[in-house]
Amino acid sequence: MTFKTLIAAGLAALLSTTAIAPVLAQPINENPLSDPRVRKAIAYALDMETIVETIFEGQAVRAVGMLPDGPNKPTDLIRYDYDPDKARALLAEAGWDSSRVLDVVYYYTDQATADLMAAMQAYLADVGISMNYRLVEGDVASQISVVPDDPVNGPSKVTWDMLYGARAALALQEYFNRYAYGLKPMIPNIPRMNELVAKVNGTTDPEVQREGYFEMEHIINENVYQIPLYYQQLYTYESDRLDRNGAPYGNEQYNYNWGVENWTIAPDASGKAVMYTNAGPSQFFEVPWQNLGIWVANKFAFDTILEADGALTPIGGEMAESYSVSEDGLTFTFTLKDGLTWHDGSPITADDVIWSIGAATKFPVTQPVLQATMKKIEGADAFIKGEAETLSGVSAEGNTITIKFARLDPNVLLSFSQFAPLPSKQFEGVDPVTLQQAAFWQKPIGSGPFKIDEVVMNDYTTLVPFEGYHKGTPKIEQIIARPSSDNDGNLLVNAQAGRADFGYTKAAGDVPGLEALAYMNVYPVDIPYTRMLWINQFPHPTR
Amino acid sequence: MLTYIIRRILILIPMAFAICFLVYLGLELTPGDAVSHMINPDSAGSMDPAQLEALRQSLGLGQPFHVRFWAWFTNLMQGNFGYSMSGGVPIASIIATRLPATLELAAVALVFSTLVGSLLGVLSALKRGSKTDSALTVVGMLGVSIPEFFFGLVAIWVFALNLGWFPVGGRSMPGYVTFWDRLPHLVMPAMVLSIMLTAGVMRYARSSMLDALSRDFIKTARSKGLPEWRVNLLHGFRVALTPVVVLIGFRLPVLIGGSVIIEQVFQWPGIGNEFISAVRSQDYPVVMTIALLSVMAVLLASLIVDVLTAVIDPRVRLGD
Repeated sequence: MTFKTLIAAGLAALLSTTAIAPVLAQPINENPLSDPRVRKAIAYALDMETIVETIFEGQAVRAVGMLPDGPNKPTDLIRYDYDPDKARALLAEAGWDSSRVLDVVYYYTDQATADLMAAMQAYLADVGISMNYRLVEGDVASQISVVPDDPVNGPSKVTWDMLYGARAALALQEYFNRYAYGLKPMIPNIPRMNELVAKVNGTTDPEVQREGYFEMEHIINENVYQIPLYYQQLYTYESDRLDRNGAPYGNEQYNYNWGVENWTIAPDASGKAVMYTNAGPSQFFEVPWQNLGIWVANKFAFDTILEADGALTPIGGEMAESYSVSEDGLTFTFTLKDGLTWHDGSPITADDVIWSIGAATKFPVTQPVLQATMKKIEGADAFIKGEAETLSGVSAEGNTITIKFARLDPNVLLSFSQFAPLPSKQFEGVDPVTLQQAAFWQKPIGSGPFKIDEVVMNDYTTLVPFEGYHKGTPKIEQIIARPSSDNDGNLLVNAQAGRADFGYTKAAGDVPGLEALAYMNVYPVDIPYTRMLWINQFPHPTR
Repeated sequence: MLTYIIRRILILIPMAFAICFLVYLGLELTPGDAVSHMINPDSAGSMDPAQLEALRQSLGLGQPFHVRFWAWFTNLMQGNFGYSMSGGVPIASIIATRLPATLELAAVALVFSTLVGSLLGVLSALKRGSKTDSALTVVGMLGVSIPEFFFGLVAIWVFALNLGWFPVGGRSMPGYVTFWDRLPHLVMPAMVLSIMLTAGVMRYARSSMLDALSRDFIKTARSKGLPEWRVNLLHGFRVALTPVVVLIGFRLPVLIGGSVIIEQVFQWPGIGNEFISAVRSQDYPVVMTIALLSVMAVLLASLIVDVLTAVIDPRVRLGD
């Protein structure tokens, strides 16, 4: 290691502490973006208030801090309100080379993102920073997430200067876990952040976690390691025909107690209570462990072990009659309700649950928080590698299932509030690695309030009430789901034609059109989904 | 003639192979693969690379390009289309469910556009220089020039959302059994798809008819005292129809390839829609099978046109 890199590493470590960061504001390597003054200048140069009001038509919330507003976010963060003069002064102080052109990348293909890139280009040009922007396609992960061989000094393997992306978090740790040693593609190692990541992941005490979140937010905020831009909102829309009968609203991207079995809808001309929605399958039903609640048909069709409220706080059992966590947090036990059945009438057994836990552990694209929980179960490593046939940490006695964890996981209850078991007998001979390719996903057999009735792939799917559902037979007689992605390009047309009674969208551009319909009600829901800029501080080969 | 046809078929086989190879190569050069499409970029960094690699291996993506192509091709030769990488569905089953929807849409549009386009084209030629001719020429130009999606959106706005005559999209609804149940869903996409086809046929039929009407045999027919309708329809129209038939022959591939834009605008569950989904998810086997079917349709249409041309014009085969 050269003297220069030793100095750089030392400075990187020093800059990670909040007390001295403002004092030692200087680059830690030859990349000027490693200079906090330059990063702050970028933050001051962007008028996010105006961008939110114009490009996003007011359908977003300007971000201050990584975390959404709530008890886990400090209230004294620096806001970096739009101040181009301050940005210019900081750049002058840092000796910014105005001939340098920043390479900014993004991976969203919507028009609002393209508009945002153009706006950023103009705002940065105004303070003397040139930037080009480009869409990354194909294997996006390898272009944005690959980490350097040397996580302290780099160079980075990613080739961009700034990345526009998002963090959509099921658990708040997800906002910060990439700050652990060796996981950051673009930020040199920050020892204090390593400790804090370990702290918030190593406890179930919300007070201790909050302390960690506060300190991490301050470190990121004061050093501008990332620039939070805006909090995306989710919009639930409902036609006047639909009555949720008091059921709460929540984060529709995940599973929560939405009381759908009690929803009612005004009968159509034939006297039948039919509800239209979207997000039906076009080629197959997605495994419900991948995107959890995004595909509404999966939420209708599958129950989870535990139940969360709209803010995703676990509140009780769904398929579980009772549950408990040991004092050391390493043993989770739950007992299935008596008499539960799959939609084909066969009983839901502990074997189904055990098989499902194992399959979710091996399934490569299981949602990261859920998979992190599964991988902490005793024997998970050997099971994944194929050295063991079963997960040694999972056992059952009657309807009671016990899960022993090798390491503490702070999100056990949260994960099991999102985890929907599958009927194991339907997957005999199926390798969990290729679970999505099983024929089962053409017409799944679930456990939830509605069962899948008719599937005309890529045209429509119908669901009907599951008679004898353990929370009561649903009142809506039929659900018709049109195929779409979670960003439904036909949403407004179908809504205008009366073919959309319920659904949700994150596309701000759809909201004014939906709100203009006299029979449509739109409810904004705050979700943990922060759009932000990642800044590459490492030297990299293209520079 | 038989030798000519056989030779054309023999040329067709290596052409199909070469085109398929190029399509496969094009997909190979596209960044990413079926697995990278399955990962949400927002959480890409949280995925376990080893497990993703296991999935790639399970789907056969770890093999070199030429090995994968050859495996696909040899399976195809044995009548095995393979399975979708995204959902594991047999591709034969995907084709069996999507192709009828596309055939239904395209066949209606093709028949409609052929009949209406030919009649309007002939009418335009017979009324050459009149207001009718001018109006039809303008309509034809508009039909050819304005993109299909625009007509589609206008049709949805007028006939579905305002007049409520037709549904906004989809092919069917729960409880539909017969073709007649589905007919209201078919009308708008078929008519919009046929606009551009009709306009093209009309313009082709007009110029072909004008050409035929200027020939000597028409003058001869008139000089023989035949009624004008007979001169126009039995002598002029029959001759004018030949190049129109060739044009229609070249449009037969739309029966297989579908109209991607129309299927997207009208949420029509056909091959075109499936092709777009498969390309987006880089589902090689599905893309290749649909591409192969489209290539075969184009080549067969070309063969049919060549044979028809050879039958009609002996110089074509004698020239060989």
